[in-house]
Amino acid sequence: MANAAHAYDPPGKTAAKQGHISIRNLSKVYDPEGVNITAVDDCSLEIQPGEVCMIVGPSGCGKTTLLNAIAGFHSISAGEIFLDGELLCGPKKPQASQGADRVVVFQNGALFPWKTLTDNVAYGPMVQGLLSKAQAREKARSMLADAGLGEVADKYPGEVSSGMARRAEIVRALINGPKVLLLDEPYRAMDALTKSIMHEALLEMYDRTKVTIFFITHDLEESIFLGDRVVVMTTRPCRAKKIVDIKIPRPRDYRILHSEEFRQLVAETKDAVHEEATKAFEAGERELA
Amino acid sequence: MYVKQSGTPLATAGGPTAAGGRGGPSRSAILLYRWRRALREPTPYLMLVGLTLWFASYYLFTEGWELPRFEKLPGPVEVVTEWFSPDPVWGVSIYTEEYYRHILASCTRILIGFCIATTLGVSVGLMMGWSRVFKDYTFPILETLRPIPILAWVPLAILMFSGTETPVIFLTTLASFYVTVLNTLLGVESIDKSYFRAAACLGSKRHHIFWHVVVPGAMPYIFTGLQISMGVAWFSLVAAEMVSGEFGLGYLIVTSYVNVTYVTIVIGMVTLGIIGYITSAMIRKTGDILMEWRVRTLGGR
Repeated sequence: MANAAHAYDPPGKTAAKQGHISIRNLSKVYDPEGVNITAVDDCSLEIQPGEVCMIVGPSGCGKTTLLNAIAGFHSISAGEIFLDGELLCGPKKPQASQGADRVVVFQNGALFPWKTLTDNVAYGPMVQGLLSKAQAREKARSMLADAGLGEVADKYPGEVSSGMARRAEIVRALINGPKVLLLDEPYRAMDALTKSIMHEALLEMYDRTKVTIFFITHDLEESIFLGDRVVVMTTRPCRAKKIVDIKIPRPRDYRILHSEEFRQLVAETKDAVHEEATKAFEAGERELA
Repeated sequence: MYVKQSGTPLATAGGPTAAGGRGGPSRSAILLYRWRRALREPTPYLMLVGLTLWFASYYLFTEGWELPRFEKLPGPVEVVTEWFSPDPVWGVSIYTEEYYRHILASCTRILIGFCIATTLGVSVGLMMGWSRVFKDYTFPILETLRPIPILAWVPLAILMFSGTETPVIFLTTLASFYVTVLNTLLGVESIDKSYFRAAACLGSKRHHIFWHVVVPGAMPYIFTGLQISMGVAWFSLVAAEMVSGEFGLGYLIVTSYVNVTYVTIVIGMVTLGIIGYITSAMIRKTGDILMEWRVRTLGGR
């Protein structure tokens, strides 16, 4: 399964036993136009190194706020976030610094349209000064080839399918050897068939790298198929409502979707998700950035 | 495993084949095909009909029926005869050196003015889009100065700059500068926020974001702006040449009016139209070369 020859060796880093995220009593209050909106309220969550943690909740519940706080895109109002014991943000430092140890894959895709896939992937190691431009491109090429994108490595993102682009974006994140991969509903706009192919591609990459994954979605089956743990969030203010451990052994493939175990897990979780979705719908909440 | 169905063996087998080894029809065959297809569309025929209609009415109004108020205007036949005459009645045709001196004078001024305006305009626009502080300082001034018509600057330009050449270049530069700044600023502001975030979480420093996100991201708007800026440059150049300066197409037009050589006016106007078209096309072409990603993305499928 895992390709041992694959060059996953970011300098000075080993993929294992890294990427422990500890979110403690996190709160975030937005203040648009003088009206306080509590997006996240007293949310605590421990994510173990190498875990695939799926965050499920209705649209606009504050899941993305959580991700933005970890990535350092937004400040927090109270609480702390630690990464491997180091404080990312807390009362004295409300906004985490942004760095390549926590790479985000965005909802609508954010490959630079003016760079080829190779140059997109080579960008991280190049600007961090880890590799020369030529070395970075060479490594980018080999990683793209491993992800089945060798033939389109010299194309621009606009020339390839959305599925390929999204896969390349994950490669662009992984080349940095991040401690955590933060995915913000990356497959939201895809049709079911493409989605299932993307899932298998992601799982294959995960099995190879064992990087900690923080994955936001509102698709329950997706979360059970991919995750080690599914965290169902309450609607705004966002808090962990129910945590379900997924003990389906890895490597997984699409056949487990039809297994009794899978169906059981969906049934077990569906009520919680549905309840929150109904609440969110009735509240008529609009999504926050 | 399952993912690797999609063409991975090929990709891992040979790097170089992956890049350029795509067979298919030759370039000339594609070109021929495109020509044939274009001729089956109504576009070229409608264009021909449009041009014919336009010229026919121009001819009939002036030389054919000699309608009132039109009979003084030089008609197409008269203009074309004069324009291509080796021995022009009014002194300017494609065979006279003077004609090219006017063109050269105007083109030189445009080149200098446009280059200064583009360099300054793009830099200022990028800075304004990139740095909040810089924008706060400069934006109100820019927005107050921008609406002042270029002709209102003529007296000050003549006072500020000595000679006949520099005031004209100043006026040309000023007009295109505003357009370029505004479009560049708009270009930077149009860049999707997630590109900045992506760049930041891939470990960029501020200067990386500037060169890898801000500049290429604003490029499409910059080039749209440059085309407008070129049009504005010609507009203000001719206006400035009418007021001051020796030689140049604007100067030719205004002196022809004074000397009652109306045919030459039309020759000057048509020449401006053609050169303006060429300069715009050059900018478009440069844009296409610099933004290959855009050409390939928009036209590739």
